[in-house]
Amino acid sequence: MKLAKSILGGILVAAIAAGVAGWIVSSRHAYSQLKGGEYEATSASLPLGDVAGQSAAILSAETANPEASDPNAVAEGHKLFISMNCAGCHGYDAKGNMGPNLTDTYWRYGGTPAQIYQSIASGRPKGMPSWGKKLPARSIWQLTAYLQSLGGSFPAKDYQAAMQGDLGDKGQGKGASDQQ
Amino acid sequence: MRTLFGAVGLAFAWASSAAAQTPTPAAHTSLSGASATFDGAGKPGEWTSQARDYANTRYSPLNQINAGNVATLKIAWSFSDGTQFGHEGAPLVVGDTMYLVTPYPNIAYALDLTKPSPSIKWSFQPNPSPTAIGKACCDAVLRGWAYADGKLIYNLLDAHTVAVDAQTGKEVWRTKMDDVDKGVTMTMSAFAADGKVFVGNSGGEMGVNGWLAALDIGTGKELWRAHAVGPDKDVLIGEGFNPFYPWMKGKDLGVTTWPADMWHTGAGASWGFISYDPDQKLVFYGTSNPGPRVPAQRPGDNLWTSAMFARDTATGQAKWAYQFTPHDEWDYDGINEAVLLDMPIDGKVRKTLVHFDRNTYAYTIDRTNGEVLVAKNFAYQNWSTGFDMKTGRPIVDPAQEPKPGVKLDRVCPPDIGQKDWEPPAFSPNTGLLYVGIFNICMGLTDHEASYIPGTPYDGMEMERSSVDGKDGNWGGFIAWDPAHGKKIWEIPEKFMVMSGAIATAGDLVFYGTTDGWFRAADAWTGKILWSQKLGSGIIGQPITYTGPDGRQYVAVAAGVGGAAMVQKSRAGFPPRGNTLYVFSLNGDAIQSPESPPRGASAPAAATPQ
Repeated sequence: MKLAKSILGGILVAAIAAGVAGWIVSSRHAYSQLKGGEYEATSASLPLGDVAGQSAAILSAETANPEASDPNAVAEGHKLFISMNCAGCHGYDAKGNMGPNLTDTYWRYGGTPAQIYQSIASGRPKGMPSWGKKLPARSIWQLTAYLQSLGGSFPAKDYQAAMQGDLGDKGQGKGASDQQ
Repeated sequence: MRTLFGAVGLAFAWASSAAAQTPTPAAHTSLSGASATFDGAGKPGEWTSQARDYANTRYSPLNQINAGNVATLKIAWSFSDGTQFGHEGAPLVVGDTMYLVTPYPNIAYALDLTKPSPSIKWSFQPNPSPTAIGKACCDAVLRGWAYADGKLIYNLLDAHTVAVDAQTGKEVWRTKMDDVDKGVTMTMSAFAADGKVFVGNSGGEMGVNGWLAALDIGTGKELWRAHAVGPDKDVLIGEGFNPFYPWMKGKDLGVTTWPADMWHTGAGASWGFISYDPDQKLVFYGTSNPGPRVPAQRPGDNLWTSAMFARDTATGQAKWAYQFTPHDEWDYDGINEAVLLDMPIDGKVRKTLVHFDRNTYAYTIDRTNGEVLVAKNFAYQNWSTGFDMKTGRPIVDPAQEPKPGVKLDRVCPPDIGQKDWEPPAFSPNTGLLYVGIFNICMGLTDHEASYIPGTPYDGMEMERSSVDGKDGNWGGFIAWDPAHGKKIWEIPEKFMVMSGAIATAGDLVFYGTTDGWFRAADAWTGKILWSQKLGSGIIGQPITYTGPDGRQYVAVAAGVGGAAMVQKSRAGFPPRGNTLYVFSLNGDAIQSPESPPRGASAPAAATPQ
């Protein structure tokens, strides 16, 4: 673990010394926390973050989560949520802190699974980094599956209703009361 | 524990018999003998910097409002600035104009005090990048601004510093200080002294590399920049550096007290208030927690994080430094301010600074050399079993040291300390400091963190609670004798006190609570003489000033946010929304000569459609 951190530090220094612009980072250490080096092939230094640009794939908002049938997807997504520092912004309970609450049906950029995928992959203007060129698609879907398991999303079939501001009629995005 | 009247039985007795009289401070003796120079303050009726003076006293010589009449204080006027993030700054009053700057998007307003207020002279929208919102750890706040050389100078959340012409509201210069996409934001108030403006960065939770910089007031050109981590050449440590304690002496300690290369992302951001000693030409400021917040990943003292620097204003070279919390394990930033006071200690008058640290020690330190003269707890803590005056190091309880994946049930204080950035006030009459505090603890689980630029380099999972259990208070407001390290009185508060405090020659102290109570208390006894509930929680800094009409006013912004939001799930915690409130005796103010518009009582437009 310490060695991995030293490598990370060394690469970082080298990147700075080389005058590399933008976000260059090795997340080798972060990946090494995951089981069995599953992501080894993708852990080389790659651009990441706000300035890395959008991911190439543009999905239909109604695309289903291809990881939905994998029983491990939620657990893997949870691990990624912590190891990729998502929890640092959105909270360990994903209920929001620096970043917004991800456990409800209120989504600024759309809350179907594919729209959530897109937000993770492309980043968003208020500080959400773009992960599309760093994480493999499967990881982003696993993250999406984890948020879905917390109640954070609405079904793809409700995409049109959400666009028309009618999500509340579907019993989603409805008001929340808090009596004190 | 809650209320210690201690040695001031005399003052207490006086207060109970004299509540309705005009106070006569000369009749009472300062409890500490401490004094301040008040250099850098404007005219008596003005408030031209966040702390009012270089020493950071937040003391006003005005006494029109005093213990005898403060009960008649009422709202004279109010002003909504239209923003939602927590409002932490103080407005400034220069001449007949009040200047107010908002949290993100950092809009500046000039209000004409000669007219029925609020009357906007100009506003300025700097349009900082919205990316900054998601990079600010603890709300998109701003702790105020500086006035100097006819300009208002302030930090934008997206890591720029901007100067605005005070007459016209036009931008004079803007300097990019760092990269917001790497997680660097700027939330501190700029500080002007010695012909320069001093600014620092935020982002202690984002693995930034902390710094303080001096800029030319006229042009915004960077004159020097001193880092908190790294080799001596980056930290501006050279021949003239002479810390008091041997363990802070040596070459490149900002590198060698870290595991290899981890200093690059070791934080030490500076986001609190700065003070200035014109005799020594030194600025004093603190540095943030180390990064990552998980201590298991960074064995060593992690210099110069959670520390204070004294730096030469001309060159930035450090004269001395002192680390409050070596190898900080709980996010105890050392950024809280230094109040520069001279006071007798053990029979000898010392030039000191007083600093209430997040780690819950209140320090009185010799500001010429960094020697700790007094280090006493000002509130409850359980991470340290004592303080070694010989080495200048707190003694850590090993049972409270976090290990990744192992939950610690109750560490007090939590990450935000028993006092965060909220600044104290000093009264030369009582010789006491007045400060808002917390009464809280945390359950803590560390998770190993990876450095990914622009994301939190953090790893602390926490839940906070009152020291005193489920129904316990979360805050308080205390009077502190800095010469003897002793709490003189305390006002318990249900919610955290995160507002600034001010003290006045009327022997009053003012503060606000995070559930929205704005209070005036007797400076000698802590008796609450007046309270008003405002529209949101108060984390702003009050001021007092004399208007063009000769009346004394007191002003404070309500608008909860920032670290106070750790209380958001508690019953009684107020909603956000920023409004400046201005108070006067009986609510008297300059009145409009105009009557309401003709027909305003029954406008046609009000007819239901």
